[in-house]
Amino acid sequence: MIEFRDVSKTFGAGDSLVRAVDRLSFCCPPKSFWAIMGPSGSGKSTILHLIAGLTKPMSGRVFVEGIDVAAMSSKEAAVLRRRRIGYVLQTFNLLPFLTVEQNVGMPLVLDGIPHREVAHRVQEALDVVRMAHRARHQPAHLSGGEQQRVAIARALVIRPAIVLADEPTGNLDRAAGRAVMDLIQDVNERMGVTVLLVTHDPVFAAYAGRVLRVVDGKLAQDMPLPGS
Amino acid sequence: MRRGRGIHYALLGIVARNAQGVHGYALKRQCERILGHFWRLNFGEIYRVLDRLSEERLIEQIAAGEPSSRKIYRITEKGAKSLDSFILAPPADAPRPLRQELAVKLLFAGPDRLPEMLRLIDHQRAIYMQQLRLIGVQRRKIHRLPVDAFVTNLLIDGAELAVRAELTWLDEVTRRLRERLGDPAHS
Repeated sequence: MIEFRDVSKTFGAGDSLVRAVDRLSFCCPPKSFWAIMGPSGSGKSTILHLIAGLTKPMSGRVFVEGIDVAAMSSKEAAVLRRRRIGYVLQTFNLLPFLTVEQNVGMPLVLDGIPHREVAHRVQEALDVVRMAHRARHQPAHLSGGEQQRVAIARALVIRPAIVLADEPTGNLDRAAGRAVMDLIQDVNERMGVTVLLVTHDPVFAAYAGRVLRVVDGKLAQDMPLPGS
Repeated sequence: MRRGRGIHYALLGIVARNAQGVHGYALKRQCERILGHFWRLNFGEIYRVLDRLSEERLIEQIAAGEPSSRKIYRITEKGAKSLDSFILAPPADAPRPLRQELAVKLLFAGPDRLPEMLRLIDHQRAIYMQQLRLIGVQRRKIHRLPVDAFVTNLLIDGAELAVRAELTWLDEVTRRLRERLGDPAHS
């Protein structure tokens, strides 16, 4: 469950004040797949940062699985991100000097998980994204779509309750973008992971069961997209 | 997708694919598979078109033989020629007129009605998003089918691009209406 209660976040001050999130409220139930759609600079990414505890609201409260993220210390928020929230970004952010399997295993290594368990879960995550055959390759040898699938495996390796995907198709061509979205949808449907997708692309937003259109940090439109 | 003569030739084309002839039910199944549900047809419509094609002697009905009493449809030489010239003729579809109903409403609504117009646009946007969702579901469904869906995929791409264009246009209309309304705030 992700809940925003009258959340506001501003950047800057005076004439250069930007209302990135402006009195936003919503409640996203577990296992949902929601998309946040809106033009560049509409505050979409800030919403994900607030959920992950990467930034704090000026006012209002953000609850993730019933816990007020804004009240957490930065250390507690880091633990939340490491154990419960998988993050997928437009720039895949894989470490170029590590292999695919080392990249995927990194969140577990940082969390002090024993080596055998890391190996097992890396294999599991690479199987989900169908990249096991590339385990020993370095990111530079992969296509953009493959790199994003590895980044998704890295998000899944912690067995997250929530995946936050910030323009995951932004650096991909249409076909690779679709493949990544199909995978994200699978992760939601088969593994029951809550997915919050940020995108400016309506075709990819339409994968979600509900689309929030955000303009200037405000909820401009709430569009449920019933079933198949 | 609009109908008219298109459906006439679509059915003629599907009959033509079955050299030994095809009965109505199989024809409907093939329509669904080949046309990818873009044309949702019921039996009534199919038989109406088939009757018309028979009248024009583009297809003929032959007996299916015992024990079935079903009619089987087969393309005639005239039908094959007609299909050929249809395929070779340039498409008759005119570009779509300005977004019909919404355009007319915008034209006749005074400035005091602009908030309602914005709500109408939101409503329209939600419909297009729903269409995109169905197009996506359809695309994935076809991807899983063991058939060559080359043309169906092209149709799906076309439908998706068309909806995308409508959504972009709605965003532009919204932006321009807000400018006109002098309201920097958003709904």
